[in-house]
Parts: sequence; C-alpha cells; structure tokens
Amino acid sequence: MDIKNKLKKILVEDLNLEELTPEQIDDNAPLFGEGLGLDSLDAVELVVLVQKHFGIEIKDMEEGRTAFQSVNALAAYIEGRLAQ
Amino acid sequence: MMRIAVKGIGVTGGFGCGVADLAAALKGGISRVSEITVPSAQGPLQMPAFRAETERLDEFVPKRALRRIDHYSKMGLLGAYLALADGGMLGSDLSRLGVVVASGYGATATTFAFLDSIIGDGDICASPTHFANSVHNSAAANISIMLGAKGPSLTVSQFDMSVPSALVSASQWLAEGRVDAVLFGAIDEVSDLIGYLQHRQRGPQRACPISPLSTGEESSIIGEGAAFLLLTRKDDSLAYCTIETVDTGSLYQEELSFPDDALLLLGADGRRELGARYRATVPGHSRVACYTSIYGSMPAAAAFDLAAAALILQNGRVYPIPGAAGCDMDGIPVPLETTRICALKLAGINEYAAVTLSRLQLP
Repeated sequence: MDIKNKLKKILVEDLNLEELTPEQIDDNAPLFGEGLGLDSLDAVELVVLVQKHFGIEIKDMEEGRTAFQSVNALAAYIEGRLAQ
Repeated sequence: MMRIAVKGIGVTGGFGCGVADLAAALKGGISRVSEITVPSAQGPLQMPAFRAETERLDEFVPKRALRRIDHYSKMGLLGAYLALADGGMLGSDLSRLGVVVASGYGATATTFAFLDSIIGDGDICASPTHFANSVHNSAAANISIMLGAKGPSLTVSQFDMSVPSALVSASQWLAEGRVDAVLFGAIDEVSDLIGYLQHRQRGPQRACPISPLSTGEESSIIGEGAAFLLLTRKDDSLAYCTIETVDTGSLYQEELSFPDDALLLLGADGRRELGARYRATVPGHSRVACYTSIYGSMPAAAAFDLAAAALILQNGRVYPIPGAAGCDMDGIPVPLETTRICALKLAGINEYAAVTLSRLQLP
C-alpha cells in the first residue's frame, strides 16, 4: 500500500471518521477546518500516528503545520523524511 | 434525609435500551446473554456476558461528535440522554444540573488498550485520545460537556459500593441547594480484563441463568451497561417514586433492620461468597425480590436495581422474580404489591448499603 492510501486508512480508522471511506478523501483537501474537519486534538493524535506507523517524529511545529495541509502534503513530507 | 424524586430513567444493558425494554425484560424475566471470547495465556476463553448496545445514541448526538468517545462513555451518555428525555428535561436549561457517575471499574477496555499500546509501542506513541478516555471520570466529563450541564460533575468509584456512595453525594447536592436536578447513574463495561478476572476468580463459565437466590451456588455472569436516574427535590409534580433514605456502613456485630412494610430488593448476583452474606443478613420471612439475572453481575447493577424499584413503585406491582424456584433463603420470593422498597447491597466482608424508596402519595 502506498503512503497516501495508508495515510487515508489511518485517518479513517484511527481518527474514527466513520462517515468516510479512505477512497472518499480528496488528496488535496485541507485536513483541518473545512475539508476533513479535523481539530487540534486530532493534530496531536496525528503526530503520534505518524510516529507509530512511519517511525517519523514531528518535533517542529512549523514543519507540522506545512505537513498537515493535506494528504498530499503529509505524504510528501513522510517520503522526504524517509529518504533522508 | 430530604426526600428526592425520581423523575426520569435511562438504561441500556443486556435486556435492551430504554425504560420500555427494561420493563418488558422484568415482566418476562428474560434478558439476552451473549458469548464473548477473552484472550488468555492458556488460549481463548469463551464465556457468557450481558452486552449493552449504544446505537440509539444517534437519536441524540451526531455521529461525528462521538468519534473520540469510547464504548464506556457512550453507554453513559446514552443512559444520561434517555433519563433526561424520560424526565422531560431534554432541551431544558441545564445550568443547575449536576452529574454523578458511579463505576466499579471505570473504562477498563480503553485503560488496558492504552497500557498495552505503551508496552507495545512505547510511551511516545501512546494515544492522547485513549488516555483521555482511560481516566475514571471520562464518562462524567463527556456527559457534562455534551449536555452543557454547568453543575458539579463527579465520579465515584468504590467497587460494589460505588452506586450508594454516589447517591449520597447526589442527595447532598440537592439538600444543599447546589443544584436543582442531578443526573445520577452508574456504568460498568465488559472487557477482556473483566472477563479474564471472572475466569480466574470463578472458573469456567456456563451459559446458565443467574440464580441469585440460590445463595450456595456460583452462577454469576458478567454484565455491562448504564443506568441513570434523573433526581430532583421532592415536589408536587409527577415522578416514578421518592428516595427516602440512603444508609451505608460496615456491619460488625449488629444486625441490620429494615422497614417492616418494605420489600427487600437484593443486590445478590450469583457470586457465592456474597450469596452467603445475603442469606445471613436478610431477616426470616422478609419479602424479597432480585432482578440481577436481567442485567448481570457488575458494580453498576445496584443502579439497575434502583431503576427496577422505581418501575415497581410507579405501578405498585412487583415483577416476577427470575429463578425464584431455587431460592434457599428464609425470605419469601413471591410477586406481590408494594408501596415501599429497600434496595439492599452487600459487599466485601461487612459493607452494606440500604436505599429506601417509596411510592408517591397521590393527591
């Protein structure tokens, strides 16, 4: 499973977005506010989930802000960190 | 003690969901026992359990708002909403509503999933949501927040005495005038941990009905659910019944005395060691009833007993007692009419609680 699809599955299952399927998540939709409608508590959970599933620790708040823009942005961030 | 009115009942358990399901189960003497599989070092263990459903919560709360709330809190939320709706207070100003939740064990499924995740993935990967749900007061907090209740919010955990202790606090708030109403309830859940403990303490489980009045026999079946009562100070408006007294304490040499005209509603639940205590404590020729075979063995069962008592007092008729044929107590388990009930809960070596409830005196 590629990173984008794995991320979508994690979002739906681990954040309990029961009304959505992974396929329904738009790659470019904002994760927070409009779009998926996640909130600050989800952001904390997402930091933990990225570390748990990809072994990547997001320590820098600015990095996280950029990475958490969308599924595409987060997948690109993870790919970049894995390539380092 | 100031008299308290029971204005609403909200329940979910193995028998179903809501007052009508509880009344039907009490009337028919039948509940639904599921089978669960619990992991253990010796392999999977099969055992019977009363499980509660929370689907009806969708009637009160959007699904999205529930996504961070676990099964334990959902049961409590459903009980709370049903009690408010039953008492005609749904949508009312809840600025002077207090919330008291009793639980013997708290959110054991989430607590131990959280601990397992720390063991498995390290504390840095521990889920903040699981942590928030793992603390004992998570359900009371979720209820107060979701309802917008502005009164005090309290969780009481004292194993089998949790319910009467919580009721003492609820009555005190009403007596002090700190609140105008209290959502008082109890929650306990079935989890791998509770199932494993049941197996370790009581051996292989059988899918036989609980026989709580056969006090020499081990017949307990673990249960889960939530039972909530909406309580107010006694006034002239309609209510199920009144709560007159709540007594708790420890028995050493002395004997308990009960009102002569009261039906004793026993909290016996098939645990043999407690069965012996009930047999020794209940005076001969008392009129007794017991309904734990409808909702199962759990500390929160004492709140279901109060809900059952409220239903009995509302219509004045005692429901048939399931498993009465195997009764080996001096008490007389026969259906009859009653206007007063004393719900008796015994725990440990010498703890007791007695809650006396009365039928409303109609003008």
